[in-house]
Amino acid sequence: MNYGFQFGVVWDNIPELLEGAWLTLQLGCFAFAGGSLIGLLFATIKTYGVWPLRFLVDCYVIFITNTPALIQIYFLYFGLPEVGIRWSNEACLLIGLTMNAGAYLTLILRAGFLSVRVTEIEASQTLGMSLIQQVRYIILPHIAKSIYPALANFFIVVLVMGTSVGALIGVDELTGQAINLSTVNYRWLEYFTVVAGMYVVLTFIASIGLALLGRWAFRVKARIF
Amino acid sequence: MQHLEVSDVRAKYGTLEVLKGISFSIKKGEIASLVGPSGSGKSTVLRALMGLTPITGGTVMIGNERMNYSSAKEVRAARDRMAIVFQQYNLFQNMTVMQNLTLAPLKIKKWGKTDVITEAHRLLGLVGLSDRANAFPDQLSGGQQQRVALARALALKPQILLLDEVTSALDPELVNEVLDAVRKLANEGMTMIIVSHEMAFVREVADKVIFMDEGHIIEVGKPADIFDNSQTNRARDFFSKILRH
Repeated sequence: MNYGFQFGVVWDNIPELLEGAWLTLQLGCFAFAGGSLIGLLFATIKTYGVWPLRFLVDCYVIFITNTPALIQIYFLYFGLPEVGIRWSNEACLLIGLTMNAGAYLTLILRAGFLSVRVTEIEASQTLGMSLIQQVRYIILPHIAKSIYPALANFFIVVLVMGTSVGALIGVDELTGQAINLSTVNYRWLEYFTVVAGMYVVLTFIASIGLALLGRWAFRVKARIF
Repeated sequence: MQHLEVSDVRAKYGTLEVLKGISFSIKKGEIASLVGPSGSGKSTVLRALMGLTPITGGTVMIGNERMNYSSAKEVRAARDRMAIVFQQYNLFQNMTVMQNLTLAPLKIKKWGKTDVITEAHRLLGLVGLSDRANAFPDQLSGGQQQRVALARALALKPQILLLDEVTSALDPELVNEVLDAVRKLANEGMTMIIVSHEMAFVREVADKVIFMDEGHIIEVGKPADIFDNSQTNRARDFFSKILRH
């Protein structure tokens, strides 16, 4: 093997890569937050709603979870302009990822709703709690705790796998930035080695943040390693 | 004066009438025990008093006050005066023993923190769990969890305590530790309604035994009279089956 590694060129462009990583983190957080709101609404509908609404939510979940995220984002970016709806590439990525995350989060949150124990609800009622107090002191803490690991895992999926799809529609997040830069000087191996490392660091930071949040808020014994 | 007076109370699950006109009364400090075959409606009486099963007819009086179960506020008034302990303990799994005891007094009643915590420690001492205040329910045995549930019910200082088959889910060797705790309460003069299959215990602590079958009260009397000298065939039949061994 005769390859001479030249990490110097990568080093020179670290600021651009960090910009990409920052955009990746932002996209991941916003898509996850938006998806959580969709998930909360739709999981509520699926658990307590009337059947036509439940049916619509089912359709949404089935379509989204059974098609690739890339197709969904291509649909928004290349498909919709044909009918006159034109969004920027970043907007398409963010909307696509949010809708995608919303479907998975609907399923995760619904599992949480179903795991609430009737016995604890009855106990809280007989202790004199109003509905709002039951939700606040018993139901929400229980849901948060029981679905916390699934939520944290899914956040990493959105952050790493979801956002990198953006490279294919020209969003300059971490993967996109790496492709742009390495096309200039053909140092693919060096760039992608460094970018892989940056993804690991990014998820590591996110994991620590999530684990601390979980321990502090929900007594989840989350393991970082 | 009667402390609790239940008159002609009816309750339904869907279309099935499970209480078909129940009337009984207890005095302050008295211990009444509801006994009878499965499905006779014993637990439903307690659930109806707590507003968990809707009452479709009749009246419930506590002291001079009539309990209405027609609005959330009125149901809470009943829950202010009575507390229930369930067969399956129903502890809050994501809270420590101490949090289970203090949640309602602090957040719902908004009583002072020092008083609530002092009282919680006293109650844990009463049920013999002073050293487990910071344990979580899943770290406790069934008997210990049930004693925590007992303490949690008492933390709200109820006038009447309802016990719904509190030993039925326990291993036999754990039954006595729970019964001992109930016995202490009986000695302190707590007014209680006990649904139980522990006939020896009922005979020991109850002032009054109410025998139920198919949603009716069949016979009421002192334990010795009911167990050994029941007046109705239905009660005699039941007790001859369960008291034989």
